[in-house]
Formats: sequence, C-alpha cells, structure tokens
Amino acid sequence: MLKGGIAIVLFLIVLVARKFDLIGALLLTGGLVAGLSFLRFAAQHPAFIAKRLGYGAIVILLVTLIILSIIYLAPVDPAQLTFGQNADAAMIEQKQKEIGLDKPLTTQFRLYLNDISPISIHENSDYNSNKYQFFKLIHFGKQVLVAKTPHLRESFQSGRKVSDMLAEAIPQTLILAATAMFFGILIGVVLGIIASLKQYSWFDNFAVIISTLGYSLPSYVTGIIIAIIFGYYLGPYTGLNIQGGLTDVDNFTGEKIFVWKNLILPAIALGIRPVALITQLTRSSMLDVLNEDYIRTARAKGLSFYAVIFKHALRNALNPVLTAASGWFASLLAGAFFVEKVFNFNGLGLLTINALVDYDLPVVLGSVLFAAFVFVIINILVDVFYAILDPRVAVP
Amino acid sequence: MSRKLLEVNNLKTYFTTGEGTTKAVDDVSFSLNRGETIGIVGESGSGKSVTSLSIMRLIPDPPGKIVSGEILYYEKGKDKPVDLTQLSEREMRYYRGNEVAMIFQEPMTSLNPVFTCGNQVTEAIRLHQNVNAEEAKKETIDLFAKVQLPDPERVFNAYPHQLSGGQKQRVMIAMAMSCNPDILIADEPTTALDVTVQKTILELMNELRREIDASIIFITHDLGVIAEIADRVIVMYKGKIVEQGNVYDIFSNPQHPYTKGLLACRPPLDYRMHQLPVVSDFMDVEMKEDGSRIITEKAASIQEVIESVKIKPAETAQRHEDLYAKEPILKVRNLQTWFPSKRNFFGKPLDYVKAVDDVSFDVYPGETLGLVGESGCGKTTLGRTILRLQKAKGGEVIYNGQDILTLPQNDLKELRKDMQIIFQDPYSSLNPRMTIGNAIMEPMQVHKVLDNDKQRKERVVELLETVSLEARHFNRYPHEFSGGQRQRICVARALALNPRFIICDESVSALDVSVQAQVLNLLIELREKFDFTYIFISHDLSVVKFMSDRMIVMNQGKIEEMGKADEIYANPQKAYTEKLISAIPKGRVEDIKARVLV
Repeated sequence: MLKGGIAIVLFLIVLVARKFDLIGALLLTGGLVAGLSFLRFAAQHPAFIAKRLGYGAIVILLVTLIILSIIYLAPVDPAQLTFGQNADAAMIEQKQKEIGLDKPLTTQFRLYLNDISPISIHENSDYNSNKYQFFKLIHFGKQVLVAKTPHLRESFQSGRKVSDMLAEAIPQTLILAATAMFFGILIGVVLGIIASLKQYSWFDNFAVIISTLGYSLPSYVTGIIIAIIFGYYLGPYTGLNIQGGLTDVDNFTGEKIFVWKNLILPAIALGIRPVALITQLTRSSMLDVLNEDYIRTARAKGLSFYAVIFKHALRNALNPVLTAASGWFASLLAGAFFVEKVFNFNGLGLLTINALVDYDLPVVLGSVLFAAFVFVIINILVDVFYAILDPRVAVP
Repeated sequence: MSRKLLEVNNLKTYFTTGEGTTKAVDDVSFSLNRGETIGIVGESGSGKSVTSLSIMRLIPDPPGKIVSGEILYYEKGKDKPVDLTQLSEREMRYYRGNEVAMIFQEPMTSLNPVFTCGNQVTEAIRLHQNVNAEEAKKETIDLFAKVQLPDPERVFNAYPHQLSGGQKQRVMIAMAMSCNPDILIADEPTTALDVTVQKTILELMNELRREIDASIIFITHDLGVIAEIADRVIVMYKGKIVEQGNVYDIFSNPQHPYTKGLLACRPPLDYRMHQLPVVSDFMDVEMKEDGSRIITEKAASIQEVIESVKIKPAETAQRHEDLYAKEPILKVRNLQTWFPSKRNFFGKPLDYVKAVDDVSFDVYPGETLGLVGESGCGKTTLGRTILRLQKAKGGEVIYNGQDILTLPQNDLKELRKDMQIIFQDPYSSLNPRMTIGNAIMEPMQVHKVLDNDKQRKERVVELLETVSLEARHFNRYPHEFSGGQRQRICVARALALNPRFIICDESVSALDVSVQAQVLNLLIELREKFDFTYIFISHDLSVVKFMSDRMIVMNQGKIEEMGKADEIYANPQKAYTEKLISAIPKGRVEDIKARVLV
C-alpha cells in the first residue's frame, strides 16, 4: 500500500515537472520506482552488489581483450580500407600511426583500456584535457590521475566521436527493444496463462503449435514477410513504410522529427519470437505451479478462481519467465541486427553491421563494449529483482 | 436440537483415466456430531483423503468426480441441511475456509513461498469476515499466539521458508481456525513431521478442540495417532468403510481383520520380534472379475500372531555376545562435518553450522546400529559423511583398516561396492525415465559386476524376487509402483553390488505404518540371509529400537547417548532421550480408556 502511494505521488510530481507529458512521465516514474527499490536493496546488501559489479568489470575486460585480439589477427588493414584502392604505402603508414595500429597488441590494449576506464592516467596537456574532457584528481610529475566519461575514440570512417554515434543509436534501439518485449511479455503471459488453464483444449494445442512455429522462424524471415505484406501490399491501407528509422529530418524545416509509425512493423517482427518463448515458458511454469500444494490451500480458503490464479499462482510462475525475458531483452538492447537491417531502422544493430562492413574498429569496439555493459547491468538487475520477487533466494 | 453436523450418505467418488475407472470412494456413509473428533484411518489408496477432499469439493476434476451420494451439512440456526455436492462453485466458496476448513499433510509445501505467513492468514480472515486490515492483523497475531507460535509478531512477517516444519503446520492450523469453522478436516497433519513435533501438534489440537466449538475429522494411516485424539474411528480399505466405532472398542476389541492388521503392525516397544505382523497375516484378499474383493480372515487373535514371532530375551543376549566378540568393521573417530553459514567477500567461510561435531563410535560386523534424533540433529549428514557423499572437516572413518576419508578416488569406487545407502524418499530416488530393471542393473554395469548384460539381467530378476517383486516388473517404470514397492526396488538396487554394509537413511519414514512393517521385515530377512551390517537412521525411536541391537541418540551434532537399544529404552539417561521416547504414540488401550473417560 505504502509503495503504491509513493509511486502515485512521484508520478504526479514528475507529471507536473514534465509539463503534462503523460508517456514521458509514466516512463520516468517507472524508472524512478524501479531505481529506488534497487537502491534500497543495494543499501541493504552492499557486498552482493559490489561482488556483482566486480564480476562485471572482469567480463568487460575480457570482452575488450578478445575483440582486440580478433581484430588484430584479422587479415584486413583498416588503414588501407579508409583510403580504398588508391592508397599508397606512405599514406597508409601515416594513417596507421595516427590510429595507433603500428604499436604492439599489448600497448594497444593498454592504451584502449586507459581510454575507456573512468579512472585513468594521462599526460597532463591541454590537448588531452580537450580530448578527454577529464577532471583532474591527483598530479604526479607530467602524468595526472583523472576521472572522465569513458572515451571510445573516433570513427575511422566519419571521424565522428563513437560516443556521439552510440548516443544517437541507443535510444532508437532501446525504444524498439522495449516495445517488442512489452508486446512479447503481455501477449506471451496472457496466452500462456490461458493455455495452462485449458490444458489439452483446442486453444492450448493451437497456442503450442503457433508458438513453436513462431519460435522456429528466424526474425529476418518474419521481418521480410511482415515488411512486404503490411508495408508494401497493404501499405496504402495501413499507411506504414516498408523501411525507415525512428528519427528523420523534416524536408521543409530541417528539424529532427520522430516517425513513430516506423516502430510498429519492426517491433512486431522482433516481438514474435519472445511471444512464442514466453507463451511456452508461462504455460509450463503455470502448469507446474497449479499442481503445487499451496494452490490447493488457497482454494481451501475459499478464494475465488481469479485470486488463486493471479495472486497465488502467477507470482510463483513468473520467475523463469523473468529470467528468459531479461536475457532476451539484453540481447535486443545490443542491437536487433537482422530486423534493424531489414527495416533500415537506424539503431545500434544497423550501426554495428555497417561498422563491421566498413571495418570501422572503434565503432565495432564501442558497440560490443556497450552490449557487454548492458548484459552485465541487466544480469545484476535480474538477480536483484529475483531476490525481491522470491524471498527464498538467499542473498549473501 | 439435533447434535448432527455432517452426514455423508452413500458417497461415491470415482477417478476416470484412459486406463479405466478407479472407485476411490465407493459407497461411504458416516456422520459427524457437534464437538466430536472422528479419525479416518487406512493405508494410502484407501480413499480417506479423497473422502475429505470430496467434502471440501476440491477433487481435481478431471479426472475425479463425485458420482453420487449426499454430503449434508447442518448449518447453525438453519433447520434444513445443505447438500454440499449440489452447490455451485461460487456457493461452495462461502463454505470453504469459513465453515469447513482443512489442514494438509505437507506443511513444507502447503504455504505459498512468496507471501508472508501473516499475509496468508489475514487473506483468509478478510475473505470471510468484514474487517479491515488492522483488525485482521491483530486477529492473526492473536491466532498465532493461540497456536503457541514463538514470537507471533515475527512469524507474522516471516516467509514460510524461515520457519520449521512444525511451525508451518501451526500457521496452517491458525489459518484453518481463523474463521471459526464448524468442521476442521486434518488430512495427515503430522505424517511429514518428526515424532516429537507430531506430539506437540497433537497436544495443540487436543487443547484447541476443547476451546473452540469445532468438530474434527482427523485422517491418518497410523492407528497410534488416532488413539491420542479421536472419539470415534472409521477404518477404510480400498474405498470402503470396513469398520467404524468408538475408539475404545476399536482398540480393545477390533472386529475386522484389516483393523487387526493395522493394530498389530506397529513396532512394539516392550519386547522384540523376529518379524512384524503385517496385514496379510490377518487376511487374504481375492479379486473377483468384476473388481469386487472377497476378504477372508486368517488369524482371529492379534495376541496369538504376536506370540508366534516374539524373541526371548535369552536369544537376544546370545546374539549380542556373538556380535560384540568380533572386531569392529567400521570405526568412526572424532568425525566433524561443518557447513559454512557465513562467508566473506572472497567466499572464505567465517562461521559454520556444526552438523556433525566430534562423533566417535564403532560398528560391529552383522549388527544393526540405530541412529535416532530429531531433524537437524546431524544424523543424515553423519550417514552421508561416512560414505564420503559429504566432505568431512576432520576425523577418521576406518572401514576394514582403511581410512575412507583419505582414500584416493580409484579405491573409493571399490569401497562404494561394499557400502550402500537406501534413501528416505522412494519417490524421488528413482529416475522416472528408467525402467526399474535398468535402474537396478546400472550400478552393476558401472562396477563391472558379472561378465555381460545377460548375466546381469538374470541377477536383477533374482534380486526382484528377493524383494518379493516379480520378473515381469523388469520393464516397468517407477510411476507404476506404490511407495512400498518403490522402496523395495531401492533395496534391490542397493543389493545389486553384493554390499556388506548398508546405511538406511530414514528408509521407511515416508511409508504408511502397514507398508513400513513390510519393508522392515524385508530388511531383517536380508540381514539374516546375507549377514549385512546396517546403520539404521530414523527420527522414530520405536522403529529404531525394533531394528537395532545398539543405538545412538544424536542431538545438535553430538552423541547424546549410546548403548544397547533395549537398555536405553528401559532406562534413558538423558532428558532428550526421554523426550524422544515419550513422543511415540503408544496406542495403549489403558491410555485411551483414561482419555475417553475424562
């Protein structure tokens, strides 16, 4: 009760502060409430969080090492790629020096880590100060220990800062992934519950067959089918585009505008497999839970059918669903490569695929690192919410 | 005014599956008066639980269905009874929990793990009574105090996994009592609990029934428990009532051979027996083609049957003299098994639970050493540590001159052939996807016993016959067998490697008293035939005493008392041992007489 009250007050404050932008306020309040319960948990179990963060740092370190090694071993020279066929040896050497490819792997690795670490040591110069935008902590000699936002370097191709490119792509992917997962969880859980309650009925069989089919189809196949049917053949009726990103530039004013309708088809294409997975998981998990003794206890109390299902059964059945859905969400956040490519949706997936095609190392590294970061954070969050949902999960 | 509260007339509840129809409850009639406690007793499959679930209308449908009959409930202040079988689901919900409440067998799984205990009880209160959250909370805490839960405020906010089994069952009782029901159905409420906890729960229920104006239907497989609580007894066998009457009459002068069997199969405390009497000593059952059964009586007097298998004290003395003249086969010295309870950041243990704490004893070849104590006393951990299924912290376990704890992995395999364990739960210790023949053959293949699978198969058939199963069972799966049969399969599997030393870890605790007797008889028979040495672990001192030559009483990881089983029972030195002895439901006629007359 208390928690609900706090959430409503919070929502009203945010609503006023956001000048009555309803959707924005809802999202923000949701985030705030989740964040607050997370912080409360973190304050109660600091060692648990510290340990997970420690593991996370190791994961990111290893990912960086592996990606750098693969790139170093690949028989392609990014410096040459930037100039194409007409490059001469001197130009390539110059470029290699510029982007640090002439140095040994260990040095490259050390330099890159130093760049991405929030706490790092740099030469105390105006050039560096400008480049990293750092905050000096301790001086020793010519070097200085600084705090900064991770520096992901610049794209070989466009020369733009990788962090800027990511910052542009991430919101699109985030919105796409969240919509797809919302769609997946909502429909999947509802279908799963109905199927479990009517086990072996025609609906149950239908749900199982359809979800198996949906799960077996790769997203690029469903993506293309959906794009052709709803964007092309039915395009005049649905008013949807075959391709296109979430943001566009208005042809007349030159302002950045949101094209919300471009979200619909990719979100459906991306959501079909989660729907299938979550339907089956919810179904089998509900079937297990419905046979538990405490469901019989709840019925013996005289509770109504809906109270038994939604209060007593569902909460117990959702844990495996939560685990699967969060893992999936994390992988979508890393970029829905195929679907973004099919729909030419300007998110992280498209950015990464294009960078791979061009061998644009800093961009590839940046997006892979971001993906690793997302996985680590989501896994910590899931562990925490697991512990909040199920009091039996022991927290050291 | 009529004192009648519930009347069950010609109730038939059938279960229909693809394989046919099972008449779980077949034409059952009985009545329950206000303020009365009736006990329904029978083995699993007798239909006693289905009867109670039928009254609650909680039969899982499909496959179950109340086919015919009436369940008349005489509500207070109304002149006409309601027939519960005719109510709609919505109407029935008013009676469930409110007028008819139920306590289930498994306190461990009967409470929802994700809600606090307080929440689950207030939910029932607020469902049937018009009170606000504050009042419901106060009422719940009062109830928790009434069922003698320690620190009711804390229990209110505790989750089920934070409580012990006995405490959970108290929460269940509080929940069942929360709306002052007229009828309280207790379906094996103490079966999953330790004997000592069972005693406290029975005492509590006896107190409560004096205090509140409720009638109790108490369901159990154990007549000893019935003796402690019921006014009237109904004996059920295969869906039918075979005998019903006053508790004193049933115990002093049982009529039906099945009742006699149930009375006689409980392990005796005052004397020793070669074998426990079983139900089939008293009656033969013949199945007719139409599915009906003809029961013929074999022995009329319980006393006669018991006298025929009694052991004279002199025989026991001789056996012990022979046993203890030999060198010990197993020496346990200062054994410690500790579990880390707290770890620091790097996973280094800071604090321990001392499950086995400095335990030393000897086991002589051919003897049965009993290990008795409440759950959590460390007896199971001790058994597992001896077999190295659990890592020891320190000490020695010397078997035939070798220290098991320091044996290299290769020699350990040799040892595993010699020492076997039979676990508590016959339901989960067999792989459901493996035929029982293969399950018994598997250890033989691992240890390369016999030359080829053909010979091994023959040996499995032999083993199945040893445990009174048949060769045709080889290709069946575990779910096709009853609990007692499964435990016999587990025994056969343990025998497959020709072991000399067997640890039975609560091997009969999950079984009905009548089935327990059969498995105990089998274990004794095997001991005589193959000269086995047993360590027999149980929480029930009566079973341990029946089986063992010597016994060890364990408490909090330490040995409380050790000695000849008969001597410890006759003359316990420690208060803890006395507590275990007094917790055994004795089922003595004089006790019942004293209780009923009060």
